[in-house]
Amino acid sequence: MRFISKISIALVAAALLHGAVFAASFTASLDRDSIMLGEQATLSLTFQGGSPNNMPVLDVPGLSFGRPNTSTSQNINFNTGQMSSTVSITYPVAAQRTGKFTIPALTADVGGQQLTTAPLTLTVTTASAPSTAAVNSGNEVAFLKFDFPKNKIYVGEPEVARLDLYLRDDVSGLNGFQLTSSPTDGFSCGKTAEQQGMRRRAQIGNRVYTVIPISMPLTAVRTGELTLGPFTASLVVVLPSQNGGGDPFFRMFNQGEQKQFALATDPVKVDSLPLPAQNQPANFTGAVGNFTMTATAGPTNVTVGDPITVRVQISGSGALDGVTLPPQDAWHDFKTYPPTSKLDTSDQFGFQGTKTFEQIVSPLNAEVHELPPLTFTFFNPNDGQYHTLTEPAVPLAVKAAGATPMPTLAAAQNPAPENQTPQDILPIKDKLGTLENKTVQLVAQPVFLAAQAVPVLAFLAAFIWRKRTDNLANNPRLRRQRAVTQLVRDGLNDLKKFAAANQPDEFFATLFRLLQEQLGERLDCPASAITENVVEENSMLRGAPEATLNGLRELFQLCNQARYAPVRGTSELNLVAAQFEKSIGELQNLKA
Amino acid sequence: MRTISAILLALVFAGKIFAVDVAEYFPVANKFYAEGKFPDAAKAYETILQSGAQSPALLFNYANAEFKSGNLGQAIAAYRRAEWLAPRDSEIRANLDFVRNQVQGATVREGRWQNWIGTLSLNEAAILTAVLFWLTFALLFARQLRPALIPKLKTATRIFAVLTVFSASALGLQAANHFSKQTAVVISNATVARSGPFDEAQSAFILHDGAELSVLDRHENWIQVADGSGKTGWLPMKQVEILPGA
Repeated sequence: MRFISKISIALVAAALLHGAVFAASFTASLDRDSIMLGEQATLSLTFQGGSPNNMPVLDVPGLSFGRPNTSTSQNINFNTGQMSSTVSITYPVAAQRTGKFTIPALTADVGGQQLTTAPLTLTVTTASAPSTAAVNSGNEVAFLKFDFPKNKIYVGEPEVARLDLYLRDDVSGLNGFQLTSSPTDGFSCGKTAEQQGMRRRAQIGNRVYTVIPISMPLTAVRTGELTLGPFTASLVVVLPSQNGGGDPFFRMFNQGEQKQFALATDPVKVDSLPLPAQNQPANFTGAVGNFTMTATAGPTNVTVGDPITVRVQISGSGALDGVTLPPQDAWHDFKTYPPTSKLDTSDQFGFQGTKTFEQIVSPLNAEVHELPPLTFTFFNPNDGQYHTLTEPAVPLAVKAAGATPMPTLAAAQNPAPENQTPQDILPIKDKLGTLENKTVQLVAQPVFLAAQAVPVLAFLAAFIWRKRTDNLANNPRLRRQRAVTQLVRDGLNDLKKFAAANQPDEFFATLFRLLQEQLGERLDCPASAITENVVEENSMLRGAPEATLNGLRELFQLCNQARYAPVRGTSELNLVAAQFEKSIGELQNLKA
Repeated sequence: MRTISAILLALVFAGKIFAVDVAEYFPVANKFYAEGKFPDAAKAYETILQSGAQSPALLFNYANAEFKSGNLGQAIAAYRRAEWLAPRDSEIRANLDFVRNQVQGATVREGRWQNWIGTLSLNEAAILTAVLFWLTFALLFARQLRPALIPKLKTATRIFAVLTVFSASALGLQAANHFSKQTAVVISNATVARSGPFDEAQSAFILHDGAELSVLDRHENWIQVADGSGKTGWLPMKQVEILPGA
């Protein structure tokens, strides 16, 4: 077993070593030598025995190279023991014009070797329409036919041309149909699209073709002899594979063969005629087609200056987009405003439908009794004649406007009732109103925002005050503590006064009372019940520091002694007051 | 009379208008309008506005003059500015609706809640909310000072507190709408919205004068907009007037 492993490793190492020293190569090839304008060829660059360190630059005037597609493969030949790697890069190549193009020798660095390909030649020719004989023979897989319904057309006249794509019955799929050239010089071309649901089948020679009609709306914009086409297109069709064999089983899995074609039509010449200058009505505004007109006006009972809406509908076929409402010279007794328009088309090209105009007019005086007849003139290319349509006059009842000289200003106080559709904007305001500088938004002003904190802070202050007040009212001990603290503070001042005045009786009487009050508050018992004995007996005081207790004992003794030996000096009284202050401070710090 | 008008027009066009003169020049602009000289009237109103002064009537008349001059976008922008100052002015609303009906294509309109909230201007809403807020806290303050008043003030405090919350919510929505969203009004006809913010980008769709659009993004001198049907595209900023709020 170990022997077999060693042999295997040796074989692989030999193969790798052999592959490493195998000579590299670089080749370039085109999938075909000639293409039609609009078709694509494929350029393949193949690197064997290594990967390229640099890519050759492809720059051929007249040719464009698409996005490259890279594939890599590794092969081991077990017969020879050779291992080889292949890198293939393919570019779609399209031509921008006809001619013979040379892709020059390309150089690349492969594994440290500078390798060069042979130059390649690509011939690009123009697609041309197949001859009648070729079409009738049934040999054409696909071809195009262009049909323009007229050979004479008036400038401004719209017409729908048809481009028919013929596909032979053995075509099982169609991909990427694209018009590569559609010269329509002298025409404006609308959106080209397939006529939905209009595909048909046609017998040509002994073959059946599927015909796909494509509509091309065109409007002549220039006079003279105009040329439409040749239209060229490229497409890829799927045909039955030639090597599919006759076996029905294999034909089931045969997906067919894709083939690219470049198609072309013959050019078609059209004579574009100018509109006749003779008998052209003065109010003709360029409408070409065949139209009818209806018009309404309302309200008909108005005051001078009131708006009247004239609604005109022009329906029919023709260049509706360019139809405009002509100025009505007979409306000199009316103030007219620019009309608005709306186009509703009934076909996909916009050549049939209705264009609706709304124009506001207002009578200038009360002598107006009718809206004069409305006229619209168009040129009909079918009979080559100008036609003028006239809508009869509309009777009006116009009242004088009253005393106000300017109806627009006077009407400011009388806006249109809400339940009526307004015919015009309401007039301007004659009073300026209160002027202000550029609007400052309060919510963006820091001062305004900060001001909103004031009521919150005031409320919080009141809330805290209320809590403290309630707390004190509900806590008599706290209340007594505060009262005693204040009493002791005042009493100390009295003691100092009595000491300074050398009044020992008052001094010790005050001292004893203060001791009673402070101890009573601390021990939560009446002040009158405090005697020297509480210092010894009360459990709370027993936990106090000895120095504090000694101080209290001494103060009580001094008070007792003062009853029998009242003679004391100011300095001694001051010392007692200081000792009292110290002891009281310690006592206040004791936890109750 | 014609000479006086010409001099005033020259002054107006020269931009020599100061705030103190506004009341004097306003009737001149009105006169241009009454005579049917709508572009002159629009220019005169615009010059007054450029002096920094504004009023609902001034903006309303300017919008009327722009509409009569055929500038739907400028008119709509001015009506909307007038509406911010006087949100309950029925004449401004009527003319704005009328002009909007003349605009072709899908356009962005205010929602029902925006219309409802918009019955007050932002400043009016701010003042109302502040008043309710102060009153509510005044009642709370009084309750702390005089607990005896608590039973009497209980209902009033609750009512004012609810009103304050309601008003503050509406103000918040209105402020968010005003400061965080923008509307672009197209001021040139047949404007092409493009797929990217540069002149060479493919055209996406056509917008007409007066179309109101939501502003989605900005890039240098371009803005990305969405129309009423949800289509998005980029427009040069010079072709629109940008207003705060949706």
